[in-house]
Amino acid sequence: MKEQLMQILTECCPDIDFETEVALIDDGILESLDIVMIVSEIKDVLDVEITVDDLVPENFNSVDQILALVEARKS
Amino acid sequence: MDSKKWIITFFATIVFIGAGIIGFNFFVDPYGVFDNIGIEWPSYEMTMNPRAAKITYLKDHHEEYDSYIIGCSSTSSFPTEQLNEYFDASFYNMIMYGADTLDTEQTARYLIENYEVKNLIINIYLDNAVEYDWTRDSLSYQMSPEVSGENPLGFYSKYLFLDPRVSLKKIKDLRQDTYLQQGFDVFNAETGAYDKKVRDAEHIGNMEEYLAAYPAFVNYPTVEKSIDEEAVAGTLKSIAAIRDLCEQKGIRFMVVCAPVYQEYLSYFDWDAVEDFYTRLASVTPYWDFSMSSVSCEPRYFYDETHFRNCVGKMALARIAGDDSVYIPEDFGVYVTPDNAEEHFREAKQAVALDAEENTADVPVLMYHHIDEQGDDSAIITPELFEQQIAALKEAGYTAVMPDDLLAYVNEGAELPDKPVVITFDDGYLSNYEYAYPILKQYGMCATIFVIGSTVGNTEHYKDTEYPITPHFSFEQAQEMIDSGVISIQSHTYDMHQWADYESGRARQNILRWEDESEEDYRKALTEDCEKERQAILDNTTESSVHVLAYPGGANDILAQETLQENGFDVTFTITPGCNTLVRGIPQSLIGMKRYNICESVSVDQVLEWVSAARG
Amino acid sequence: MAFTSLSFLILVAITVVVYYVFPKKLQWAVLLAASLAFYCIGGGKTVLYVFYTATTVYAAGLLLGYFNGKKDQVPKEQRKAVMEQYKKYRQLVVLFTCLANFVLLYILKYWNFTAELFQPLVDRFFHGAQIPLSSLLLPLGVSFFMFQSVGYVIDVYRGKYPPERNYLKLLLYVCFFPQMVQGPISRFHELAPQLYAQRKLDYTNLKYGIQLAMWGYFKKIVIADRAAVVVNTVMDNPWSYSGSMIAFGVLFYCIQLYGDFSGGIDITRGVARLFGIDLAENFQRPLFSVSLADFWRRWHITLGAWMRDYLFYPLALSKPFGKLGKITRKKIGGKLGKIIPTSLATFIIYFVIGIWHGANCRYIAFGFWNGSIITMSLLLEGKYSAIKKKLHINDKAAWFRAFQIMRTCFIVFLGRYITRAPRFLTAIWMIKETFLHPVLPNLWDGTILTLGLGIMDYVVILLSVMVMLAAEWYQEKHGVIREALEKQGFLVQWLAILIPLLVLLCFGILRSDTISSEFIYKQF
Repeated sequence: MKEQLMQILTECCPDIDFETEVALIDDGILESLDIVMIVSEIKDVLDVEITVDDLVPENFNSVDQILALVEARKS
Repeated sequence: MDSKKWIITFFATIVFIGAGIIGFNFFVDPYGVFDNIGIEWPSYEMTMNPRAAKITYLKDHHEEYDSYIIGCSSTSSFPTEQLNEYFDASFYNMIMYGADTLDTEQTARYLIENYEVKNLIINIYLDNAVEYDWTRDSLSYQMSPEVSGENPLGFYSKYLFLDPRVSLKKIKDLRQDTYLQQGFDVFNAETGAYDKKVRDAEHIGNMEEYLAAYPAFVNYPTVEKSIDEEAVAGTLKSIAAIRDLCEQKGIRFMVVCAPVYQEYLSYFDWDAVEDFYTRLASVTPYWDFSMSSVSCEPRYFYDETHFRNCVGKMALARIAGDDSVYIPEDFGVYVTPDNAEEHFREAKQAVALDAEENTADVPVLMYHHIDEQGDDSAIITPELFEQQIAALKEAGYTAVMPDDLLAYVNEGAELPDKPVVITFDDGYLSNYEYAYPILKQYGMCATIFVIGSTVGNTEHYKDTEYPITPHFSFEQAQEMIDSGVISIQSHTYDMHQWADYESGRARQNILRWEDESEEDYRKALTEDCEKERQAILDNTTESSVHVLAYPGGANDILAQETLQENGFDVTFTITPGCNTLVRGIPQSLIGMKRYNICESVSVDQVLEWVSAARG
Repeated sequence: MAFTSLSFLILVAITVVVYYVFPKKLQWAVLLAASLAFYCIGGGKTVLYVFYTATTVYAAGLLLGYFNGKKDQVPKEQRKAVMEQYKKYRQLVVLFTCLANFVLLYILKYWNFTAELFQPLVDRFFHGAQIPLSSLLLPLGVSFFMFQSVGYVIDVYRGKYPPERNYLKLLLYVCFFPQMVQGPISRFHELAPQLYAQRKLDYTNLKYGIQLAMWGYFKKIVIADRAAVVVNTVMDNPWSYSGSMIAFGVLFYCIQLYGDFSGGIDITRGVARLFGIDLAENFQRPLFSVSLADFWRRWHITLGAWMRDYLFYPLALSKPFGKLGKITRKKIGGKLGKIIPTSLATFIIYFVIGIWHGANCRYIAFGFWNGSIITMSLLLEGKYSAIKKKLHINDKAAWFRAFQIMRTCFIVFLGRYITRAPRFLTAIWMIKETFLHPVLPNLWDGTILTLGLGIMDYVVILLSVMVMLAAEWYQEKHGVIREALEKQGFLVQWLAILIPLLVLLCFGILRSDTISSEFIYKQF
């Protein structure tokens, strides 16, 4: 799961170092467009639906947070 | 510092800055509202706010005055000098911008209750019948609280919290102040009237030129004004109140209606005007100067609403019954309930005086040297000179002297049908040798303007080796004076120097040197006038020296004004042209034009020039 | 009531005193009273619109809370189903609230414009029929408080927090007075707790508030109002000026706009700070933006954020857009295919931002301008990266960043032509003129002295802008200035009070007879 997620992320935003960044939203590294792209890719590739309500900083600041969100929504 | 301290410091700073502004405004006091501490400049402050500044001024100076004249700004043109003379009093002029009757009443009351008042004159004009109490917010119109009875706190705070730039401007203007009046100090603080030194030093001549210079009289602004019953009632009530107060205190009370321009009168409905004036007569008799031939003559006015000082002089002469001054016949009527109706019927028909009656065209001829070798713009041969004089005589011209012109303008005397003024500049011996006999022979007269320092000089320029054309001496001058043909007048004592021959800095004409201070200049010119006068009066029996021809024709307002202060009321330039004298306007005698006559000017040319006058 | 009026200062002063004197429990009521007073004095009867919005969102909030609460009544497993069941109702509530407010907004703000637009069409078919025009006054800050309130409803719908049960407290949230003129658009969970909090008098709040407000007044009165003179002169009659003069005027418009808007926001935040309330920032050194999209994240931040959270995300992640994405991915494929639905959503957002500014052709054009450029750059991003690789351009290099900043400035600058020209078509002409007939000598031959400002004024503007930029540069590098100031001695700190006051007095207040204080964003 994590590898697939990493692949999506790096494909969407190749310039970002997702391994180390932990303040993707707070520091403005991930923009709204990026988020939308990521979400639709996640829908497409992982078949997990993330809704608007989920788009809060706490869910997207680091890869681990995104992963947690995806896994929560999968069920 | 901690935050609490910061807050306190913050507000303290604001208070500190505010106090600074208040202190600055109080000290500089551009409107003359605060008692005389700090920068005192009464004429400036009166210009900013005459109501308040004059009251402040009187606090310190009221003992110098015992009579007052109150009204709107045109009231200034009743000259203080004449007021003092005719009323044997010491007047202060309390004019205020756009004074309404309430202002007048309050001011009158304040003066009467606080100071010694022997005479009180108020000026009423038709705007008083339009608006009784005209409220204006401008800081230039606020009345002192002691006079108006308004809350002093509101009044003073307006001036304490003034935009400090206004105070700053006063300081800036102080640096630029000159002797002659400028836009920021139009008042004469000692009299309370407008300082018209500059305007009264302007040449006034023919109507065409005048209207070109002051087109307002051609395009007189059209305004709608209607007389309001409330205003009339208020005005009459106030006047009655002042009248009663004066009666109580034994003060001589007088109401005048100052001259206004005819177009201004046309703003109003005639019946309403007549009604107002008639009702005024039943409250108190008054002098009406507002409707007469004077109203139809633009030259009697500085501008659309202010008549000239010379007209004010005429008005005062009328009141005092002084016959020695020229006054147009229909000017000034003492209106009482008995003659009101008749007066207004006549006044309705006021028309301008006939140009023939109150103006005269006078050409002036200017000669210099007479010599057989006549080949210069300043030289003429004796033969041609005689021919010219003979031709003038034959054509019916009468030579007149400056004193005759003065009598015409100021005293209502008559001039001959075809007057001409003959003048000679510099005082050359040739005048005595050639011109004098010829003039005597033909029964003409002339004025010779001598340069005091060269009189009697036949050889050299001052104490140099340079030769000059000989000048006649005082003995010779006396001879000419005795015959009644010649008058000796001023061409300055020593302000027509030849630069090349002077060791120091030369005064080639009467103008101030650019780097010379006004004070030094006026002192120098005054000294020169005194020297010249002394020289002529001590050495001849000439009765008075009051006519001057400008060296080289150069003149400006400062020079003219200084000369007037020194008693020179007739002056000549070298600008060619004819002169139009207007009865009652002394300014038509200053800066007069003259035709330069020399060998190249033929007899026909001379005749053409002098006859163009009547054309 | 203008920020620069004496009455506003008096209102704030009185409110501050009463606020700290009142019993703490009712401090929020003081703020409410002040807000209503502010609104009534400034807008009279239009305060009714505030009540209208407050009432609709209050009711909606309670309803949504009720529906949301349904899920707590059943055991965990059934929650999702229950939520699904009530989803329709909840969506209806939100929809209805949005309609109730935005339709009103449309009538107040855009009706006359569209009526005039369609009049010719009506004339064609129904001769003589006149579409009735509304003569309703635009209430102060309607574009701000409506959005702020609708945001609250949507947040409640999303279950972010329970609805506010106190009508008056919610009313305060809707009409908190410092925000009414030009924002910022706050979020309930950020602002409300601060509004209702109980506070002791803390001099630090007063100090920071005063400092911030003074900075705002400086930008507004000394810079913006001054620059406005030039702008108005040129824009009133652009045809009598050469291209370079027009550009000069637009440049000064940029200065005026930034000074006025950011200065106004500083005053707003400063005043709020007096009560210990920290409002969201609306500007973050927009001059340093590297792209137009980046610009809109630094300029009018709260508007962009609102659009992102309540319009962009819902739109871009909605089913229709998802379907569109599937199609484009198949048909066009590759990166481009994936981006198309997002790009479309982006375009729509910027278009809406454009017309949010006003009912006028030029704002539609403005929307198009922003939308197209950002969308284009999105779609072309792939190609753009390829070019950069080929030319071996390093993204992070300083010079490249400088290039990006200048490019962005230029694009923003062009956009200002559109919003400030007297008419839309004139803007096109003005841009043409700038490039075709600049007549550059006009810039130094004295023409700029005929625009209503003297040399002294230009010096003041130049120095002030430099001070402003220096301050922002410092903030970018080192953070908050006032903390550094606090470490200085008494003299320095006192000068930091005296000099701004004197500057405001000499170059601000005492000039106000020749400059008018217009708040550009006031009627939004």
